[in-house]
Amino acid sequence: GCHGSAATEAGVVELNPPRGTRDFPPEEMRLRTWLFDHFREVSRLMAFEEVDFPVLESEALFVRKAGEEITEQLYSFEDKGGRRVALRPEITPSLARLVIRRGTSAPLPLKWFTIGQCWRYERMTRGRRREHYQWNMDVFGVPGVRAEAELLQAIVLLFERLGVASSDVGIRLSSRKVLQVVLDMYSVPQHLFTKVCVIVDKLGKMSRDEIEKELVSTGLPCEAVQGIIDVLSLKSLSELEQVLGSGAAEAVADLKKLFSFAEQYGYADWICFDASVVRGLAYYTGIVFEAFDRQGELRAICGGGRYDRLLSTFGSEDVPACGFGFGDAVIVELLKEKGLLPHLSPQIDDIVFPLDDELQGPASCVASSLRKNGRSVDLVQDKRLKWVFKHAERVNASRLVLVGKSEWERGMVRVKILSTKEEFEVKAGELQ
Amino acid sequence: LRPARRLLCVASPTAALATDGDSSPASSASMAQPAVVDVNPPRGTRDFPPEEMRLRSWLFDNFREVSRSMAFEEVDFPVLESEALFIRKAGEEITQQLYNFEDKGGRRVVLRPEITPSLARLVIKQGKSVSLPLKWFTIGQCWRYERMTRGRRREHYQWNMDIFGMPKVRAEAELIQAIVLLFERLGITSSDVGIRLSSRKVLQAVLDMYSVPQHLFTQVCVIVDKLGKLSREEIEKELISTGLSSEAVQGIIEVLSLKSLSKLEEVLGSGVEAVADLKKLFSLAEQYGYADWICFDASVVRGLAYYTGIVFEAFDREGELRAICGGGRYDRLLSTFGTEDVPACGFGFGDAVIVEVCPPPPSSGSFSRVERRKLLGRRLKFL
Repeated sequence: GCHGSAATEAGVVELNPPRGTRDFPPEEMRLRTWLFDHFREVSRLMAFEEVDFPVLESEALFVRKAGEEITEQLYSFEDKGGRRVALRPEITPSLARLVIRRGTSAPLPLKWFTIGQCWRYERMTRGRRREHYQWNMDVFGVPGVRAEAELLQAIVLLFERLGVASSDVGIRLSSRKVLQVVLDMYSVPQHLFTKVCVIVDKLGKMSRDEIEKELVSTGLPCEAVQGIIDVLSLKSLSELEQVLGSGAAEAVADLKKLFSFAEQYGYADWICFDASVVRGLAYYTGIVFEAFDRQGELRAICGGGRYDRLLSTFGSEDVPACGFGFGDAVIVELLKEKGLLPHLSPQIDDIVFPLDDELQGPASCVASSLRKNGRSVDLVQDKRLKWVFKHAERVNASRLVLVGKSEWERGMVRVKILSTKEEFEVKAGELQ
Repeated sequence: LRPARRLLCVASPTAALATDGDSSPASSASMAQPAVVDVNPPRGTRDFPPEEMRLRSWLFDNFREVSRSMAFEEVDFPVLESEALFIRKAGEEITQQLYNFEDKGGRRVVLRPEITPSLARLVIKQGKSVSLPLKWFTIGQCWRYERMTRGRRREHYQWNMDIFGMPKVRAEAELIQAIVLLFERLGITSSDVGIRLSSRKVLQAVLDMYSVPQHLFTQVCVIVDKLGKLSREEIEKELISTGLSSEAVQGIIEVLSLKSLSKLEEVLGSGVEAVADLKKLFSLAEQYGYADWICFDASVVRGLAYYTGIVFEAFDREGELRAICGGGRYDRLLSTFGTEDVPACGFGFGDAVIVEVCPPPPSSGSFSRVERRKLLGRRLKFL
């Protein structure tokens, strides 16, 4: 059994990783690698290039003061030099930073992906995690909805590769321009736009009254609040057109175009319009989307949208941008529910075993040349043959290569094919 | 079709101003100018744009492929650990440059400087549910906090391979094969690079000869490791200040200059464990086929407190770079975490020095000479 900590002269050493974080022993690592390999393969199919950034960033990169949950739970601290830094809560600002940094040397569009760890500091009463890995795909320099259409394809491809169908999962989408139109209708000042989005995003988690209260407290008049809530309950594009009229022409056109692309891409049955989708990040400006479990039990599996005005908040010229983040937690819960989690076991090609202590040297020689040939080889020593067979089963070995005294004296080794139980002698020098 | 257009950048790359507290993404022109954020990553850290990422992925793929051929399983740990895991008070450079801080809950935490203690933690935690030996590898980022005057990096990635539960020296022989396999995959030969090795039991034997108390062993190792970086007098001074007699100090320095096993045997005697271990390792090296890569060098001690036996490091034969990788046996680390000891052995292989040693990766689908030169140039700046 495992103990939580061990006593030492230096004090108690905690055997568990820090609160809210995870170790990845071999089985857990195999699952993670399997998932990340899918992320990478889809990114490759979409012709995106991989990038990466430090997990530590300047706190200034995330100070947005828009009331977002993500910036309220920043894992920030002061380093030894007195600088305010943070373990990043998200990756998009780092991406934006790098895009600006490359300046004129980067021809657009840029299609980048990354898989990185993100952190939050939350009181541990709810037993929630403080870190997760997130796959991000972002497109810089493609305005309009073509980039969104590509990103949605990536998400659908990923689900399909995992064995998830459109009957299990859906992607609901809308556009922040809808909310913009409503605010314009009620002459709500522009600087409140972001705050309204962040509040309205909580519609699923807080009651309608609580949302209305928060909206009113930002200074919105009651009619505006009612108008917002009404529009956000619309479930069809045609209803939206009716309610908002020509002011929403751009928002509606975007969405219609996206649905038309979806038909061409072949994933129209995955997506649906839902005016309540707003997403909780401050910087989205256009189409926003999130994937959800149709049984309604899990949180959003992934989410993203267009953010055309982020770079100017970093002091640079704006570049149209669009992206999503896809975490490693909810998807695994979904796969568990659907019975789609793979059974992953270690996989070794050969086990090389000396039948005599004095044959350790020769066994090393055999193992070494097999490895140079690209075989994965476990050189086992100091064990009984019985253990070796059990071990071979555990690691799904293909072959057992036994180095025995009399065989070795003749320059031979004994090979056993574990699936067929065939056994035969091979010249050591010809073993491959 | 819209032609590709260049990104215009208004911000200066080194601008580093604090964010204006009231700005928001939807600021209109009537507000104060938008905030200017430092577009560089934090001091001492690196971004990986596509070209750099391709190089890194190529290197890591090679690490993984070698680990796979050695039948090791991959593991991973949080980059954040409790500070207590690294308090060793042995004077090691690694523990003096901890990237530590207090989290919002008042706990002392650290961005890990090395990975071995996390491995040990996990091995203990798994307890009886795993059967030995364990052969684990990982590739993770490690951090240090250093004054930036020397322009050195504050983070690097490190490939670690460790074997738990295999007593000497067969585990060391396996690990050295892994290192040689990696070099060969990168197109490096034994004429470019060598692996020098020794055993801490050599130093142990010398200290025993002079009746030096056991509790000084670790400190002596850490001091003596600096032989390449400090002068002989400075080393002697530091040794004397730990309380060693001058004969002991002389004895140590003399033994550490030995470059042949037979000389060592003469000085220490043939019954000594250190000599037997090393002889066995060299004999195994012949069987593995990498004998031309390795050599005995009594001055190899390595700078980590917990090594107890064979220690090794790979070096560039042109003598210009720091160690490419290093490791050794550490049979008594787990007891410092309060549990029963398990024989253990491992190495760490960083991503910085190797890229200067190795010839450029194959050009198919990779990147141009210009890119490679730029990459190497950037790296040299950070050492």
